[in-house]
Amino acid sequence: MKRLFLTLAVAGALWTVACSGNGIVNPPPPVGKYTKASLNGQYAFVTNGESFTGGLSATPLARTGSFTADGVGNITTGVEDVNAAGTVSPALQITGGSYTVNADGRGTLTLQLGQNSIDFGITLTSTSDGLMIDETSNSSQSSTGSGNFIKQTPGSFQVSGIAGPYVFDFSGLDGNQTLPCPCPESFIGEFTANNGAVSAGFFDDNDNGNFNGASFAGTIAQDPLQAATLSSFGRGVALVAGQNYVFYIVDSTRVRFISTNGGMLSGDAVAQSNIPTSVGSINSSFVFIVAGSSINGGITRVGRFTANGATVTNVLEDTNDGGHFIKTDSGTNASITLDAANPGRGTFTFTDPNFLNAPGKYVFYLSSATQGVIQEQTTNNSGAVDVADGTIAAQSGSPFSSSNITGTYALNWSGLSLQNGGSFNVQDEEDLLSQVNVTSLNLKGAADIFQFQSGVPVFDLVTSGSISIAGDGTSSTGASSRNTMSVTLTKSNSTTVNFVVYFVNPQLAFFTNNQNMNRIVAGVLKTQQ
Amino acid sequence: MIHTNRNRIRLGILALGIVLGFISPGLAQQSTQQDVQQLRSYNLGREVFLLGTVIKFTTASDTPPMGAHVILQTSSGQIDVHLGNAKVLQAGHLELSPGDSVRIVGETLVLGDTTYFAARIVHKGTQAVAVRNTKGFLTTPASVLTPAQKEALRGVR
Repeated sequence: MKRLFLTLAVAGALWTVACSGNGIVNPPPPVGKYTKASLNGQYAFVTNGESFTGGLSATPLARTGSFTADGVGNITTGVEDVNAAGTVSPALQITGGSYTVNADGRGTLTLQLGQNSIDFGITLTSTSDGLMIDETSNSSQSSTGSGNFIKQTPGSFQVSGIAGPYVFDFSGLDGNQTLPCPCPESFIGEFTANNGAVSAGFFDDNDNGNFNGASFAGTIAQDPLQAATLSSFGRGVALVAGQNYVFYIVDSTRVRFISTNGGMLSGDAVAQSNIPTSVGSINSSFVFIVAGSSINGGITRVGRFTANGATVTNVLEDTNDGGHFIKTDSGTNASITLDAANPGRGTFTFTDPNFLNAPGKYVFYLSSATQGVIQEQTTNNSGAVDVADGTIAAQSGSPFSSSNITGTYALNWSGLSLQNGGSFNVQDEEDLLSQVNVTSLNLKGAADIFQFQSGVPVFDLVTSGSISIAGDGTSSTGASSRNTMSVTLTKSNSTTVNFVVYFVNPQLAFFTNNQNMNRIVAGVLKTQQ
Repeated sequence: MIHTNRNRIRLGILALGIVLGFISPGLAQQSTQQDVQQLRSYNLGREVFLLGTVIKFTTASDTPPMGAHVILQTSSGQIDVHLGNAKVLQAGHLELSPGDSVRIVGETLVLGDTTYFAARIVHKGTQAVAVRNTKGFLTTPASVLTPAQKEALRGVR
């Protein structure tokens, strides 16, 4: 383990300094169908990560905004809202910029903000969306983080464009300014919007291990200080359960939020429709992924279960808790419930054979019969075991095999790794964005990685690896149903990261690393369209 | 965190218990699984403090949990203490070197099949840095920002 870490740390340093040296391996010329014209229009973007600025230590950073691409390599306008550990910089004007798109969908994006600029690596997953990592490393700022961008529908840029029921997942840091906070917070729930009024809201909050759930109301409005940003960028302000946010409308089905009064919460609200109204109508397998903080450090959990009404079987879960890996096979006493008072809200519980006296518990809000958000609420007599949330999605398209796990995918992971900061080794944020071509379950492609302690991202790593398919988790021997993936990154040196992978469908998978205790990362593998 | 003398005595006794727990497999084996399960979350009621001398400080140990560790020589033996994120200590200008006398407030937690001592507050001389909050979650460098430093973050794009 230590050797791998050292390899990675040293490799990071070498990647940084050896760009013109010998022994550097570069990926082959990209092939594919994408061009600069593939990025054309207005896109709402988000990233979550860290920044270095003004000589301070790395500070948590969330940004949400909108940029306009002209289809020929220029960013013409935009705006973003930034929250750095609770310090808000509102409505920063994007005055220009540029972008590139390679044939494989990988590219770069630079947003100019007056005299300053921020840089991203991007991988298109279609002409309507893509994944991105912050790769800013200049004299005024270094910042990293993972996120995505989605094409906006300007016709919905009005308060009334946010209408009907929505579910949301806002996560990050709370607004507690008393040392040693801000502290981790997960805030998920649902509300109904109608011409600026927010009603029928209900939330589940895990603020630093303190659970709270309650109904709420709120408002959605034009920003009185930046009124024109609503019609121009879909930007406005919202009050949700007493907390102020800025929002960006993607379209009537998705709105992106970032908090603006203390704390640093951000996430999407997704329109809710066609949700099951009784447990009996749920008959599907689900994959879930959550990430957050535990008392041991960072934590990721990826898993799956099969629901046939309230009866739940085939529970599998893989946990990376502070660099310690826990396999949960054959969770027992598993069940799901639906909350009759709050449509789409429910719970999933099971007995983890590893923790017989602290059953796993999750609360979820479904946005449809196949999608939702999820928050872990596992406790023991002393309190919450973590603050973590994420996504739940119905599993389909199995059996998974080389026949349907094929084609080109965007790959992104984010989390913590042990890195060499120059003066000493330390845990810090790691973000990777790649594009891979999967053939016969072998991966080949290219990636950018930003191990933040180095201060400089590393570009165009040769990416290779393989996927091992064991099933969809429904076999009688759950432990044998785990799918795995190894990803090898090569520049002047190479390192391999091993993952356990849960396929939602052949086009989408969630994964977390399950070896190498010096890394806690989770990610997504998403097909390119 | 300020303890009264009475509390210090009580915590000192508890600390001894913790130390003995670390060096006595027999005692560890007496713990029921239910007891161990409670060590999955942080409980201020279980807190003790350790007094010792730094043997080795590692900013990034290869022993889980990931992060900084210090090996302390106490009156009852050596103890490996998890200190969380080394950048928090750095931001708090607290340096640890072999031979330093420290006082560490924390408690025993479980991770997998093993237990470890999780620090919440590290004291060295008159310096003290919180590496965990009262719920046991690791602090970040953002936890120790001054108001002026927070204001400077408005320059972040």
